[in-house]
Amino acid sequence: METDKIIGLFKTVTSDAVIEIAVVIAVSVGIIWLSQRLFPWLAEHLHGKQRLFVLAMIPTLRVVVFVLATIWIVPMVIETTMQNMIAILGAAGLAIGFAMKDYVSSLIAGIVAVYELPYRPGDWIEVDGTYGEVKHIGMRAVELVTPDDTVVFVPHLKLWDGLIHNANNGGPSLMCVTSFYLAADHDAHQVKQLLEDVALTSPYVQLKQPITVVISEQPWGTHYRLKAYPIDPRQQFQFMTDLTARGKACLRAINVKFANLSPEHAVPVTP
Amino acid sequence: MSSENNWRVIRLAEFERPDAPASTRVQQLFQHIRNLFPKADESTDDEEQSDFPGYREFDLKPGADALDAAFDEWRNDSEPGIKFLISPPFSGTAAIAREWAQRHNWKQLTPPAEEQLSSVDIDSWWQAQSTKQWLIDDLANYWQRRTDGMAFVRALLPKLMRGELGQGLVVCDSWSFAFLQRAWPVHLPNVYCFAAAEEALLRQVGIQADDKKLKALAARALGNVGLALALWAVEQDEEHGLPSMPPDCGDETAFVLYTLLLHMGLSGETLQRLLPTVAADQLDVQLLQLQQARLVQYDDNQWHVTVYGYLAVRDFLKSRGFYVDAF
Repeated sequence: METDKIIGLFKTVTSDAVIEIAVVIAVSVGIIWLSQRLFPWLAEHLHGKQRLFVLAMIPTLRVVVFVLATIWIVPMVIETTMQNMIAILGAAGLAIGFAMKDYVSSLIAGIVAVYELPYRPGDWIEVDGTYGEVKHIGMRAVELVTPDDTVVFVPHLKLWDGLIHNANNGGPSLMCVTSFYLAADHDAHQVKQLLEDVALTSPYVQLKQPITVVISEQPWGTHYRLKAYPIDPRQQFQFMTDLTARGKACLRAINVKFANLSPEHAVPVTP
Repeated sequence: MSSENNWRVIRLAEFERPDAPASTRVQQLFQHIRNLFPKADESTDDEEQSDFPGYREFDLKPGADALDAAFDEWRNDSEPGIKFLISPPFSGTAAIAREWAQRHNWKQLTPPAEEQLSSVDIDSWWQAQSTKQWLIDDLANYWQRRTDGMAFVRALLPKLMRGELGQGLVVCDSWSFAFLQRAWPVHLPNVYCFAAAEEALLRQVGIQADDKKLKALAARALGNVGLALALWAVEQDEEHGLPSMPPDCGDETAFVLYTLLLHMGLSGETLQRLLPTVAADQLDVQLLQLQQARLVQYDDNQWHVTVYGYLAVRDFLKSRGFYVDAF
């Protein structure tokens, strides 16, 4: 009797329906496959906002295609009455609760991620101490590439209770903080002006964004933090290298001494 | 032919580009896409095609008359102070200002030597050429984009604005002006430019075509007379098309082009000093590649962006998020 009830949930699937379902799945997979190749290729030729916009369309399009395909296929297989839906959702809930909790949680978080946009392809994010560029947002996980070219897969379920630090939040503005550690005895105003000019004359700097220098006095000397934005977030490491190299040369030219940190005074450096 | 003078001096804030007809917008979009997806075979290196048609220079007197109409009262008052005249690249604004200065016997000031740019000693530069009324025909030569290359202009501008150096007209290239406003963020008063060229002005400088064509040309040239003459010359010459960006343009290409535009041309040595992040051999490669693509040229020991390549270069820099000029 139970078997009859379960069978009763489903429609009789004709060969035409099977072909139609196969075509819908094939077309959906085709669209998703094509979008995952076409959009990144197009994005490679674009910069700034346009690049990020094109990249952000990939997961959005995938969810739209997935939802449309589901809406198309489900009524062809299942009698969509309220009773049937409750029975199916109940059974599915039981299976998810026992066997596939994390997997489905990640899938649902993936859909929420498309809506809430905590990260998009092209964003620079940090999750659980891993910093990198979002290269791909899959159904279950987000794919990061670290500055050392290591691919890290982070399941979407981190979204529920983890802290996600997004450095550029979908835009081309990503602040870089470059530190300079100097011995305490020097003219702070002169150094501040000099470091601002170091950023202003960097070919990487985004001139539309502010350049600031924050000074803090430490037991070992003075800590300068030069804050500025590169034109493209992907240039952040070259930008910081340029600021560091030219900044050091300029500071040396005005005879400012660099601080020598003893191990007990060492400060953690954030990227 | 009308004898009306169509040159007009306006405040910079009032500048508006000519409206582009739909066909021109489509053409601009096509050009933009072409720049995004450059083809390897587009950068031709045939000897036969190496020379672009020379574009005719135009009569500077009507432009100088427009400066007279705008500045005569101020000039006659002889009150110390300055006015800025912003010059988009290839617009001929500096040449017009020189013509105007010559007309009124205003002295053209000599820019400081490269080693003076790091100094704030304005007096020693000024005393050698001190005069009551003067013209600075290109402020881009008064600074360089390096940490010790902006001290001079930062010390000079307040003195000029306070009127300590008499009465003067300062012509500043539009790219240089955009950067200087960022480097020295003080609201500058008395900033003028020539109004965008439209059909009547293009006809006045000698381009003969119907209104529709002239309107499209003015829009494509961003209202810039010099650019319009260059585009017109290319349009009349079936052998040439406008140059486009070569393939494999990267950050370094953008840095070179932006720096050249910022200073309206630089020698190879100075360019290397301003871009220490680009290795010397890489810089040579970039310059040669851009020269082959007709986007830059080497004249009088200086590298310049070509008038024919300017639109492609501007579009390239803008699409990569660079801080472009207001024109």
